[in-house]
Amino acid sequence: MSDEKQTGIVFNIQKFSMHDGQGIRTMVFLKGCPLRCPWCSNPESQRHEPERAFNPTRCLTAQVCGRCLEACPNAALRVIEGGIVFDRSRCTRCGLCVSVCPTGAQSVYGQVMSVGDILNQVERDDVFYNRSDGGMTLSGGEPLAQPDFALALLREARRRRIHTTIETCGHCPTALLDRACRHLDALIFDIKSLDSEKHKRLVGVGNELILRNIEHVWTHFPLLPVLIRTPVVPGFNDTNGEILNIRKMLPQRTNVCFEPLTYHRMGQPKYAYLGRDYPLEGIEADEGFMKRLRERLKILDP
Amino acid sequence: MLLATCCLSPQEERVEKKNVNRQGRKRIYEILDRVQFQTPSIDVERARYFTQSMAQTEGELLTLRWAKALKHVAEKITVYITPGQLLAGRAGKPGRYGILYPEIDGDFYEEVISQLPKREKCPFTVSQGDMNIILEEIAPYWKGKTFHEHLNAVMPKEIRGVTYDDELGLRSKFVVSETASYRSALQWVPDYEKVLKRGFIDLQNDAKKRLAALDLTNSLDLWEKKPFLDAMIIVCDAVMIWAKRHADLARETATAEKDPHRKQELLRMAQICDHVPAHPARNFREAVQSQWFVQMFSRLEQKAAAVISNGRMDQYLYPYYAKDLAEGILTRRDAMELLECMWVDMSQFIDLYINPTGNEFSEAYAHWEAVTIGGQTPQGEDATNELSYLFLESKREFPLNYPDLAARIHSRTPKRFLHEIALTIKDGSGFPKLINDEEIVPLYAIKGAPMHEALDYAVSGCTEARMPNRDTYTSGCVYINFAAALEMLMYNGRMRRYGDELVGLETGDPEQFNDWGEFYGAYKAQHMNLLEKAFQQQHIVDCLRPLHFATPFSSVLHNLCMDACKDLQSKKIEGGIDYSYFEFLGYATVVDSLAAIKKLVFEDKRLTMRQVVEAMKADFAGFEPIREMLRNAPCYGNDDSYVDAIGKDIDAISQVAAQKNSKERGVHVDLRYVPVTSHVPFGKVVSATPNGRKAWTALADGTSASHGADKNGPTAVLLSNYHSKNYGMVNRASRLLNIKLSPKCVAGDEGTKKLVNLIRTFCDLKLWHLQFNIVNRRTLEAAQRDPSNYRNLLVRIAGYSAYFCDLSPDLQHDIIERTEHSDF
Repeated sequence: MSDEKQTGIVFNIQKFSMHDGQGIRTMVFLKGCPLRCPWCSNPESQRHEPERAFNPTRCLTAQVCGRCLEACPNAALRVIEGGIVFDRSRCTRCGLCVSVCPTGAQSVYGQVMSVGDILNQVERDDVFYNRSDGGMTLSGGEPLAQPDFALALLREARRRRIHTTIETCGHCPTALLDRACRHLDALIFDIKSLDSEKHKRLVGVGNELILRNIEHVWTHFPLLPVLIRTPVVPGFNDTNGEILNIRKMLPQRTNVCFEPLTYHRMGQPKYAYLGRDYPLEGIEADEGFMKRLRERLKILDP
Repeated sequence: MLLATCCLSPQEERVEKKNVNRQGRKRIYEILDRVQFQTPSIDVERARYFTQSMAQTEGELLTLRWAKALKHVAEKITVYITPGQLLAGRAGKPGRYGILYPEIDGDFYEEVISQLPKREKCPFTVSQGDMNIILEEIAPYWKGKTFHEHLNAVMPKEIRGVTYDDELGLRSKFVVSETASYRSALQWVPDYEKVLKRGFIDLQNDAKKRLAALDLTNSLDLWEKKPFLDAMIIVCDAVMIWAKRHADLARETATAEKDPHRKQELLRMAQICDHVPAHPARNFREAVQSQWFVQMFSRLEQKAAAVISNGRMDQYLYPYYAKDLAEGILTRRDAMELLECMWVDMSQFIDLYINPTGNEFSEAYAHWEAVTIGGQTPQGEDATNELSYLFLESKREFPLNYPDLAARIHSRTPKRFLHEIALTIKDGSGFPKLINDEEIVPLYAIKGAPMHEALDYAVSGCTEARMPNRDTYTSGCVYINFAAALEMLMYNGRMRRYGDELVGLETGDPEQFNDWGEFYGAYKAQHMNLLEKAFQQQHIVDCLRPLHFATPFSSVLHNLCMDACKDLQSKKIEGGIDYSYFEFLGYATVVDSLAAIKKLVFEDKRLTMRQVVEAMKADFAGFEPIREMLRNAPCYGNDDSYVDAIGKDIDAISQVAAQKNSKERGVHVDLRYVPVTSHVPFGKVVSATPNGRKAWTALADGTSASHGADKNGPTAVLLSNYHSKNYGMVNRASRLLNIKLSPKCVAGDEGTKKLVNLIRTFCDLKLWHLQFNIVNRRTLEAAQRDPSNYRNLLVRIAGYSAYFCDLSPDLQHDIIERTEHSDF
């Protein structure tokens, strides 16, 4: 099959991204991730298959609207104490409620799209990439969790002369990462902790493969611009020692940068839409710590 | 993805922490602090002396009468020297003031003047003594003589029906609104350079030579050219007399002055005013003074829309600046102080609208004395110079809302200039606005301007361009409410605001349309009906204005007027190019509404036309699901070809009609999208629209998206604009585009770079105009709750910046509801 015809599951395409790679970029978010980070700000990205979501704040209520109640053939939507309640166990994802919902309160995260369709959308901002050296960034989820699709996207972007970047958690077969790197202009790679035990406890897998993979990149793609990112999560890795150790293990090259990310809870409402609990309830970022950390890092980055 | 930590723009920091840096600006702040937030008062002197003279000269050529009247004003009007000021030349008393132009609206002063102190938007105070002068000396003379009465009396009934909502023609219907009767002329830029280089004695000698060369046995020479040239000679005298009186006053003031330093300043001022504008300027100080006299005298002459603009200041002042700097008689700091002296006096002259409709068009004491920087030289090289940077630096350090700073951008604009523009934009007070040479220069050239003049255009008013020796069109232009056309389509020619009155065409019950083609055809019929009436109205305006307005001072500065011996307000001047425009109000409102009906009613059939009409009639009360469906249909501003194609077609059909009308009238009739603040009052006559917009709320402004409809970020907004333009047609004028960004989105050096890239792309796309608001929504909301603490907060409106707290609640709401684009 030609690259353009390849399909995969995408849950968002976002224009005018200013912080995920160089220039003005378009983000393509692929669904599915091998990790389960409790701080994940895109919970809708984790599972591979499309997921039904219900956002009660956008719902006009059953009294005013109620179209979804009528549309659902399986009684997965019911009114309890005046509010619409969504019973996932009865939902067959037929999509009828989504198609009648006027506000988008009933929605599906993830749809099947072809590489050609996606690149056509990405290409619309070509005039902005020209001036800013921007392009396409694949994100997720874990973009390499849909290997053939992600590779086809990168190849097709290259063919259309669009600058390519991926944001990866690094947990994928080394051979796959190697293939992806051949089509990349830049790589954004997460390292969450050097402590494998802790890594496994919190995100579900150890960090051995991830560290092996980044070593592979250092060795085999020494010229590829790489941005290493570490989300600084209170109670998980928010000590100077831990973060600075990650920074110190990076090779001293001008094409390798490091950026600590401040923890945030912007994704929290989406957990509720998906009917899940937010795992890190009540945690706040320590702005003061982050500021001091950045200053310490500055000394290491002359 | 990063955390959206709170991030303030420099302006927000200043306002919230009240830490304005006043260092090095003692003089400027002393002047500003005395006047900044005063309620302006009315100064009656200009109107009084103008009227006195006009009463004596009836029957003579209007230009000559005007010149005599200006000379009388120049001789009689009180002159002032502001304490601490380095520049002389005010058109009225100390503090914030507005002056009257009874030739425009003297006939209804009785009804309106007493209301001015009480009106909600832009109030003015007026003393009892002045009130008596207005009502007893000024108003009675003008009764029966004003342009506005003339227009109101002769306008045919069918056009009147869409124009006025009362017998007197004071209340606009806000369907097809004329703007010619509440100002003397369209925005204007005089040729300042000519005065700086030649001085008025030389210009007067030129008129004298032309006069001597006339053949007075020739009827035209005797009856048209001679009085015109007499007028030119008189008006040169007038401005020189006025300047001389300032020289005398400065000397007088110096005599009484105790502070030796100030005494020296006053004596120097006297010397300068003795010399300019009669003679050529010899240095930067004289050049700035001469320029200031010219613009202030222009204001005494006429009430041009947006107030007289400043032209390409970084160009014509540069030779003086460079020379003085080289000679060591001027420092960069001195130059900045002198210019800021001009800005603080500029901020005190308020563009007073007596006409209640006019007052709706530009809130918050708006005026736009655009200062143009950057761009290209007449030979097409980059024109940026050290003064261009100085203007930007002054704006960052001293962010007053006047003058309006406009940067011309082109494909070779230097990186440093764009970088400093981006830094200035990031400050958050809305300056500078960006105007695109790559769109304007070829358009003007193809419509007949010599290439070197097109390359030398100056920004004028909010987003327009002027070539001071080539432009000859001066009529205020028509504003057309196409959201009203949409409403007429839905209610068979009627509007809910105007009851059973048939305002548009009877296109029938909207439920009878079988498909999108029929429906859109009916919309086009309503659209074309308003357009036809608008063009007819504008032509009447063009025919009547020369009977009521003359501008000898502007004419003596215009090469073509001097060659033709015709006043600039004449209907036709040989060699001139007439760029006229018509204003499209409610672009995104119309486009989104049509797209919603096309999609939901005719294609997807999720709604019936009856449901849509019922929901509109109820202003969506009880029809929230329908409103949501309509709002979630494809919207302009998202780079969605489904809806942008409709926008493009509407733009095209309007231009086709304009092209035909251009041929008929012999002027360029061009489509413009610059509502200023009028999308608020025009929205007030339009009931609920099929894009889910509630009744009587603001229409979408310019070519910006409907409020909150642009969900895909600023690149999509720019692209929608691009894809809805018809680059193959030339009957187009300015398109105003607002983009609101959160400060975080452009934070740091990276943010500045990305803003620069965004501006480069705007230039590549050949869009006409772009302006930014870099402000957090919560700052605006806080300012609305607590105005006293946010008095200094400037926001960008529509081609100008204004203090947020000076805006009406409607307009404040309008600005808050514009989508804020943050990075993702």
